[in-house]
Amino acid sequence: MIEFDRATVIYPGGLKALKDISLTIEDGEFVVVVGLSGAGKSTMLRVINGLVPLAEGSVKVNGQEVRGAAAGDLRDIRSDIGMIFQTFNLVNRSTVINNVLAGRLSMVPRWRSTIGLWPKADVEVALQSLERVGIVDKAYERASNLSGGQQQRVGIARALAQEPELILADEPVASLDPVTSHMVMRDLQRINRELGITTLINLHFLDLARAYGQRLIGLRDGELVFDGDIADVDEDVFRGIYGRAITPEDLLDAAGT
Amino acid sequence: MTGPAEITTFEITPSERPAPPPRSGPFFVVVLLIGLGFGVGGIISGGAGVVWGLTGGVLAATALRWRGQSSHPVDALAVVFASALGLGWSGWALGERGSSVEGTTALLAAVGWLLPGAAIGFVVWRHSRRLRLASVLVSAVGWALAAFFVFLWAEGLGAVESLSRTAVQAGEIVELTGTFYATTGFFIALIGAGVTFALLVGSPALVAVAGSITFTLFAASQIGFSLIKVTSEIDKLNILAQEFWPPEWTWPNLTGQPAENQILEPMVETMQIAVVGATVGCLIALPLAFLASKMTTFNLPTFWGSRFFMNVIRAIPDLFYAMIFVSAVGFGSPFAGALAMIMFSLGIMAKLLSETVDGIEPGPLEASRATGARHSQVVQYSAMPQVLPNYVAYALYIFELNIRASVVIGIVGAGGIGRLLDEQRVFFQWDRVMAIVIVIWVSVILIEAVSVTVRRRLV
Amino acid sequence: MSSTVTTQASKSPPRPQAPVGPRLIRWGVTLIILIPFIWGALGLEISPGRIARAPELVWNIVSAMFPPDWSILGRSMDKMLESLYIAWVATIIGAMFSFVFGFLAATNMAPRWIATPIRALLSAIRAFPELVLAIMLIPAFGLGAFTGTLALGLHSIGTLGKLTSEVIEGIDEGPLEAMKSAGGTKLSTIRFGVLPQAMPNILAYWLYRFEINVRASAVLGIIGAGGIGADLFSFLKFRDFPQAGMTLLVVMVTVLLIDGVSGAVRRRIISGEPGKGPVSKLMGLVRTPRPAPQQ
Ligand SMILES: Nc1ncnc2c1ncn2[C@@H]1O[C@H](COP(=O)(O)OP(=O)(O)OP(=O)(O)O)[C@@H](O)[C@H]1O
Ligand SMILES: [Mg+2]
Repeated sequence: MIEFDRATVIYPGGLKALKDISLTIEDGEFVVVVGLSGAGKSTMLRVINGLVPLAEGSVKVNGQEVRGAAAGDLRDIRSDIGMIFQTFNLVNRSTVINNVLAGRLSMVPRWRSTIGLWPKADVEVALQSLERVGIVDKAYERASNLSGGQQQRVGIARALAQEPELILADEPVASLDPVTSHMVMRDLQRINRELGITTLINLHFLDLARAYGQRLIGLRDGELVFDGDIADVDEDVFRGIYGRAITPEDLLDAAGT
Repeated sequence: MTGPAEITTFEITPSERPAPPPRSGPFFVVVLLIGLGFGVGGIISGGAGVVWGLTGGVLAATALRWRGQSSHPVDALAVVFASALGLGWSGWALGERGSSVEGTTALLAAVGWLLPGAAIGFVVWRHSRRLRLASVLVSAVGWALAAFFVFLWAEGLGAVESLSRTAVQAGEIVELTGTFYATTGFFIALIGAGVTFALLVGSPALVAVAGSITFTLFAASQIGFSLIKVTSEIDKLNILAQEFWPPEWTWPNLTGQPAENQILEPMVETMQIAVVGATVGCLIALPLAFLASKMTTFNLPTFWGSRFFMNVIRAIPDLFYAMIFVSAVGFGSPFAGALAMIMFSLGIMAKLLSETVDGIEPGPLEASRATGARHSQVVQYSAMPQVLPNYVAYALYIFELNIRASVVIGIVGAGGIGRLLDEQRVFFQWDRVMAIVIVIWVSVILIEAVSVTVRRRLV
Repeated sequence: MSSTVTTQASKSPPRPQAPVGPRLIRWGVTLIILIPFIWGALGLEISPGRIARAPELVWNIVSAMFPPDWSILGRSMDKMLESLYIAWVATIIGAMFSFVFGFLAATNMAPRWIATPIRALLSAIRAFPELVLAIMLIPAFGLGAFTGTLALGLHSIGTLGKLTSEVIEGIDEGPLEAMKSAGGTKLSTIRFGVLPQAMPNILAYWLYRFEINVRASAVLGIIGAGGIGADLFSFLKFRDFPQAGMTLLVVMVTVLLIDGVSGAVRRRIISGEPGKGPVSKLMGLVRTPRPAPQQ
């Protein structure tokens, strides 16, 4: 469970990227966050695992306060949260399996990770994660040799390898073509359903949000302007979030063709 | 979208175009021509100041006019008049000298060049009005300095000694042509005009070039160096050939035993010093480099601290380390040499690697930080793989450098083949020195060849 | 988790075997590093005891050096200046000659039968350490700064020549072809096609070489080839540690300053915009704005 309580973020330049956000996300939910570029979507995701510090208010993950957590506590919180990035953020020169194993760094003794002597169980988890996204056959290839879609699945596998309770995905399909985008989104949806992992996804395209989301959070200029069922999203709500009517650019499949 | 009617009414006036940036081409041409002018003046007059100034001034003024740097007859008159006056003074000052130019004489003579300098600066300034009068003054001083350096330089040239004033008075002007006065005039005008134009154009590149030339002449005069001297002493290379050839490969050692080859063993020691130094130095450099990069450091104090440490280590030359360690652990000890090579390698590797780490992709670091990994794990799993090929390549490169450096540290008593080199050198056994140098040379070339091949395949 | 895995297994491709190649390479590399290291360490008679004692011995010397003897500050600075002059002139010599040699040694500028021997010549020069070159020149040119400058200059020609030719070989050939097809001469292609691309890097290498030459010229004095090295050598030899400390301090501060300035300038040249370091900031303060264009 994630609880935002009057959460506010101020970036070093003085910019208020999140303003007084209060909401609760229950376990197992599949939540999509939408908003214009610069609305604060990434910021909202990043305060959950403490990559961006809060200025005011609080964010609790499973009852644990993120703000001001000691370094060790913060690592504990992060180890239960998988994160997926728009640009994959893989180490290109490393093998796929090593990239996935990075997800287990917080769970193995330090000396083992230092000399690269991974426990069998952890390697097994990594391989299973790769199987779940269907690319275990690439396990020993260099990450840079994979296609974009495959690389993003490695990113997902790395998050899965953490055996997380929560997955944060920051525009996971923004670097991918429409067909691959749908496959990756289906993967994420399946993982949410099968494993019951709470999932928060930032999306740019509204049709993707409609197709896969349950709950939708709309941000505008750092403020919460919509929070509700995806089925309730109509032209008015859209106007509230984007400040204009829907255009083909807001739809993946329309924009792709 | 604006209508087409609006576009047609939009009027393009020349004043709205941006002024073209100053071009260096014409300036260089004028500088060269002015230099030639005063050089030719020197040849014609054989150093008789007023004549020199008149001819040089006329030619310079013509050059300025031709390239459009002066627009008025008054300009030309100013240049000619100032040149005649200034060089008249210069010639008079030089007339007072003895057989060679000394600093004070040179200074006196240089002051004379202030006038043509100021005149040319004034003319160019009048034409372009780019800078204030101050820069005209600065360029005039530049002329005087140029003259001063050139006269000092002439001392190294040895040309002045061969040309005494009496020779001029005896009418042997022909002998003088093409030598001292021509080159002096040419170089002064070249440097002085270079400085003038650089300042007036206000282009940093030109100012840097003019400044470098001036400083080079000054530095060369300070250490008594000139290329002329090199060419005039090139025949001394014969001495080298006689002294160094043929190399003597074997010689008896101090206890009077029969001659044997004593070179190889110390060369092996040198290699050992290089290997140990490179290995240990590169290993210690690894954590230091990550601490000294903003990308992977803990916090700002650590960052600045390790950067400062790194730079200080690099600021001490390898042989100074060797000397210090020799004083510390004892003369003739290869251990001291290994310590010196460790510091040497450490400095270079930390610098190269930390700059590489600065350029890695931050994404993977953030990704593993987000999984809850410790800082050291983040560095090892996300930063290390990105720089590993560079690290290996640098290590090989440092090994090459180490070979070259550890060859000489023996000179100060830090073991290896340098010790042998020093022993034979102080007794002027140049043929043995030659043999040692050949061994060094071949080893360095071989190791570099291997290392370059491996590095090519790596990156 | 295991139950879900089995349902997945049918869909998912078979697991590959962990390849042994990388592991073998890792062991091989470890051995390649370790064996020469052990050979070297044994050959140098480096024992744990000696290593343990070394810090103390070094500390003794360093603490004897500091505080330094300030009374010789003036003398040290004079000598350091001499070293600087040597380094500067040597760099200029290196820059001038290597510029020509660099073009001649670049395979995309000169024909092979010229480039190959020039290259060989450059590596031959480079293989002599500066100090060895100086030792060899002493019988002809005598002790003193002249010999040192010549030795440093020669070595700089070797290193800069190689770097210059590499820069020239690395340029983008596209613009050159365009110029050639437009009927440009060889010289004009170099002036407008090669130099604009290569010059920033070449300039940066010149500055970099100057930084190295400053260190090298500080050392030349040890064999009597001019500069501050002679001072440090004799001070240490006669165990005048505070004076040696002063000399060392002067060298360190000078080198640090020159590195800082030169590094900032290099970054500026390469990137075309001012860097972010403290020296760059200072340079920004000193730099006067361009004069306004003429009306
Ligand atoms: N590190 C930072 N420092 C300062 N300002 C930042 C930083 N990161 C983001 N911002 C600013 O905060 C605001 C919100 O940024 P955020 O990245 O959360 O937007 P976003 O909704 O994810 O946009 P996008 O769709 O473009 O990714 C933006 O105005 C952005 O410029
Ligand atoms: Mg974003």
